[in-house]
Amino acid sequence: MSSKATFMSFLVIGLLITVVLIAAPVAYAISLSFYSLESFIGSPQWVGLDNYIRILSSSEFWNALKNGMIYSLATIVLQVVIGIGMALLLNQIFVGRNIVRGLSILPYLLPTVVIVLTFKWMVDGSIGVLTAGVEAVGLPPIHWFESPVAAMSSVILVSVWLWTPFVTTSFLAALQTVPASLYEAAKVDGTNAVQRFFHITLPMLRPVLTVIILLRGVWMFNKFDVIWLLTGGGPVQSTEHLAVLSYTTAFAKFDIGTGAAIATISFLILSITVFFYFLLFPLDKE
Amino acid sequence: MTTKKTKSGVSRRTFISAVGAAGAAGAAATLSGLSAPAVFAQGRRKIRFLNTETSIDSLRALKVAAAEYERVSGTEVVIDSVPLGDAFTKVTTSLRSGSPYDIATLGFVGHVLILAEGGHLVEVNDLTDPYDWGPNILFPINGKNYWYPFDYNLSWIYYRKDLYDDIGLSVPTTWDEFLSNAQKLNTDKRSGSMYPIGSNGATNWMSTAFMWADGVDIFDDNWNIVFDQGDNAKSVVKYLDFFAELYKTMPIGASQASYGEMLSNFASDQIAHSAYAGRLIEAIERNSPDLADKFGIMPYMDSSGKGKAVNHGYDGWVVLNTEASEESMKFMRWFTESQFINFLHTAPLHFQPPRLDIYDDQRWRAHPLIEKYADIIETTQSFLTDPNVRVTSIDTQGPVPDLRPGKVFESFAIPEMLQKKCLQGLSSEDCLQQAGEAMRKAIA
Repeated sequence: MSSKATFMSFLVIGLLITVVLIAAPVAYAISLSFYSLESFIGSPQWVGLDNYIRILSSSEFWNALKNGMIYSLATIVLQVVIGIGMALLLNQIFVGRNIVRGLSILPYLLPTVVIVLTFKWMVDGSIGVLTAGVEAVGLPPIHWFESPVAAMSSVILVSVWLWTPFVTTSFLAALQTVPASLYEAAKVDGTNAVQRFFHITLPMLRPVLTVIILLRGVWMFNKFDVIWLLTGGGPVQSTEHLAVLSYTTAFAKFDIGTGAAIATISFLILSITVFFYFLLFPLDKE
Repeated sequence: MTTKKTKSGVSRRTFISAVGAAGAAGAAATLSGLSAPAVFAQGRRKIRFLNTETSIDSLRALKVAAAEYERVSGTEVVIDSVPLGDAFTKVTTSLRSGSPYDIATLGFVGHVLILAEGGHLVEVNDLTDPYDWGPNILFPINGKNYWYPFDYNLSWIYYRKDLYDDIGLSVPTTWDEFLSNAQKLNTDKRSGSMYPIGSNGATNWMSTAFMWADGVDIFDDNWNIVFDQGDNAKSVVKYLDFFAELYKTMPIGASQASYGEMLSNFASDQIAHSAYAGRLIEAIERNSPDLADKFGIMPYMDSSGKGKAVNHGYDGWVVLNTEASEESMKFMRWFTESQFINFLHTAPLHFQPPRLDIYDDQRWRAHPLIEKYADIIETTQSFLTDPNVRVTSIDTQGPVPDLRPGKVFESFAIPEMLQKKCLQGLSSEDCLQQAGEAMRKAIA
């Protein structure tokens, strides 16, 4: 088979898979947003942009958007900062380094539902091991979910713990590509560790950093499972973001059209953000 | 290359190719099931049953029943199991995909209504008419029954009888008495009570019946929201004041509590008052047998000592209007006549029979746990027969079965009303007003 034929066959297969598994469902979801229907078996009624107008004029949507921004920004910043710190530590030579490196990725390997349920039982107000520990050392009980700030902090905490290993591993791998000679030359020039980090490590890792922030941003903005399992969006909608709002609207509140409209708006927000992100941080210039 | 001819004049290459092709075709046919004997293929019938009771005992009982039915009828019954929350989506997507389930378990009258109105359900009056049923459970639509309920799933109040005896408390008949008891039993070792306030089904199920006992209605007969009007408003404001005080006797985490937390906290001796259906007794039997003779149950009480209520969660089966609906009805008739009690025994104290004849059926009563807790069974049965006990829930309020109560249920207007009162300290009047608005918005 000629190289052109090989290229074309791969291209066609890729396009087919993209159309069947991505483009068609997205197009279907977008089309649903222009209809009013209570269930997938009902008769849809064309309503045009009514679903969009209604949802954009509702306080729930803006509250969910605000929550999603807070959640994704906080988790990205914490994951990247902690992930880089962990990667730098694990890049040092010490006894048992390989074991620690293996353990550090453990949270990322566990299913989200296991992590979340474990956390919930650990902080259970009556029988949680953390509750008992806090009580044993004489500290006042911690209200993990009783206020909007506490609930948002808890979902951020669990998310950071769960996905920081991904950042750590990516940075650790990238660190191996930085030539040791650069550090040696910098040391000869009398730089300290902080200077070496900001003038050698960070610039060398910038392409990786750009991609990681992009990936984590997209994933965290759409992240559904942690919030759904941990708080269900509560209390008083304080952790409800667009993914949760879309799901509950479509599948619980018998309003599939509006649920699809929320999902479409969320998709548009992300697409526009990614577009501007690439304008600001073009990968091909890295 | 030479091509030798066989005696019949067919070349060896042609012969080998033909044999190879025949073999490949045979293998392909076997893999695709085309090689099944014609008689068996014609006689084979299949029913797809969507189950939501996922305990190991219930699954085993259904599988045994399916195998037995296939033996006696030749019809295969394929059991798929999903959590209750996923059942409706599974049913509707199976309908959309063109390979619908023939029988499904549902736990929400709104879902039954949507399916029935779409012509997707077969009426089951033939199955339900021969029996007497408890109140507010068949949910007929235009006089026809579209589902066969097997469990009332009533939420009632649990209390620690031994602790009551220790300090001389009596069973409360008003909110004030109940609150007083919870406060007296709220100690460093054990919390006085636990009732969920999270935005979840558990709160709708376990924390609302205080209002029903006080006569609160969400809708009038014309589907107007009257939850925040007139006497309802007075009762709800009083309920919120009562609940805010009760919340102070609860452990941290009531805002996140769901079914699991409610089970574990009472069964592990962490709280003195709780709510649940019979599943909690089964959990006590399994995990904390020392508590088995130390608890009692009672219905939710009102503010004045006159009204009582329990909140139902109900589960039942529907028969879908598919090509196999006739066979599905035959199976359901066989199952509900010959296997029903076996199935109920898989959660003997939790599955509370809506069919009143079951309570007198010695086969059902013969289960060891039902015998052991005969007094509890008598009390739970009285919830169905005592005219002073109101059996209702958010999603079954209103003059007739309708989707609007379901929308109010899923709006979590009442759980959020409780959160605003207990967590944010809003006035009861403001909480009520916002809940009323949320309900109206949900059904708009």
